[in-house]
Amino acid sequence: MSDHTPLSVLIVEDEVLLAAELNYLVEEVGCRGVGHAMSSDEAIALAASLRPDLALVDVHLRDGPTGVDVARRIARDCGGVALFMTANVKRLPDDMAGACGVIGKPYSEHGVKTALTYLKACLRDGVAPGPPPAGFQLAPAWAERWGLGALQKSV
Amino acid sequence: MSDEYRSSLEAGAALAAAHGPDDPFAAAIRATRMAMIVTDARQADHPIIFANDAFCALTGYDRDEIIGRNCRFLQGARTDPQVVSALRTAVAQGQNVAVDILNYRKDGAPFWNALYLSPVRNAAGEITYFFGSQLDITSRKHAELAFLERRDDLQIAVETATADLQHALEQKTALLHEVDHRVKNNLQLISSLLLLQARRTPDPVVRAALRGMLERVNAVATVHRRLFQSEDVERFDISAFIRDLVSDAIGTSGRNDISANLDLERVDVSADKAAPLALLFSELLGNAIRHAFPNGRAGVIKVSVRRENGCFRIEIADDGVGVATEEPRPGFGQTIVRLLCEQLRAECETADAFPGLRTVIRLPVNGKP
Repeated sequence: MSDHTPLSVLIVEDEVLLAAELNYLVEEVGCRGVGHAMSSDEAIALAASLRPDLALVDVHLRDGPTGVDVARRIARDCGGVALFMTANVKRLPDDMAGACGVIGKPYSEHGVKTALTYLKACLRDGVAPGPPPAGFQLAPAWAERWGLGALQKSV
Repeated sequence: MSDEYRSSLEAGAALAAAHGPDDPFAAAIRATRMAMIVTDARQADHPIIFANDAFCALTGYDRDEIIGRNCRFLQGARTDPQVVSALRTAVAQGQNVAVDILNYRKDGAPFWNALYLSPVRNAAGEITYFFGSQLDITSRKHAELAFLERRDDLQIAVETATADLQHALEQKTALLHEVDHRVKNNLQLISSLLLLQARRTPDPVVRAALRGMLERVNAVATVHRRLFQSEDVERFDISAFIRDLVSDAIGTSGRNDISANLDLERVDVSADKAAPLALLFSELLGNAIRHAFPNGRAGVIKVSVRRENGCFRIEIADDGVGVATEEPRPGFGQTIVRLLCEQLRAECETADAFPGLRTVIRLPVNGKP
């Protein structure tokens, strides 16, 4: 992706108020909110048609704890990068289902903005600008890919 | 009269003749309450040639039904073939043998027989007889079996109880996770609501009030995020919390000209103190960020945490404009600080630090002042 095109972001979240606020945060860090899904079917369909650069995925959706599957499908089939946003960080699979990392709920405005800014740099440069900011945990495979293999454990 | 019976009778008579009524050993064997037999090892299939009264009483057979027969006539349907085979081997090898064997009386009633067989040798060392003694151990065997059954029952009961407890524990753990999940999601919902409303509020005073509440909700949210990150949900690390909150609060303020200087010793408080302490700290930190550095004045906020004289000492110092020149501070924040100190039984002192202000909180360890 070019430096000038803003990152397109799909929000997968069944709480509309959280999704609405999250959309503001996404726009404020210079990304473009392209869609919002509340269930896994909706999320997979939107990801397939919109081809977002990034999907912010809650684990518990309207149809149950299907977010993990959504992340796996997006990472595998849609060419996008998934990022979990969940209150249940410990329940995620070890490989994070192909997602690049997780922001634990409850997150703060600043926490999300810092994490998204950091992630933008990682995606743009293919290498992390430093260790991940507080509240953002990278998946082992992506930490490795972005040159943070050794740092990953200290999060 | 069969040949076996006749030859056994003769052999028995010969034995009896050799040991007359005045032989005390023979008298003892005839009269003892333990069942005893003698078999002839020189005849085919070792027929019984002598049985005492106790043997007849134990088995229910008359003596003329016993003499001339191999003692396997006591075996029956549920006699263990492995035990029979052990007996046969011992006899073939001329060895002593002791076994517990299930035998049957003449009326068909089974009994447990503690059987002892032993060869008798002549002067030349040849085996001439086998001597056998039988003891009815049915009641002991039943007690043993009952004990084994009880032990099995007990083991099953213990396994069932353990499985029940395990299941109950799993349910409780799942419930704890569910509650944790809901608390975090609800805190997220509350902070998102406050943010959404703050965005739409044109009045700066109302917006500041909403932002203030958002800060307080964030402080509590940070506690919950930290509390369940560790395995121990009863202790709370103040320093880790402060590190998160300071970076978040300064970041949220957008004041790149304010930096933090942290000197944090790891200090744990009980989890029930975590939220009030977080709110107290957040209030003081928020004051420093909002009021110490007006008009684009740059500065440093120092935070230190350590144990001191049985207290936890938390210090927040800024190098800002100090109390005299600061804007008047809003009353609600001060009220929160006063009430939370009361609840935590903490002392809170604010003094001039030339430059800036220094606030020190002293929190009693274990609730003692």
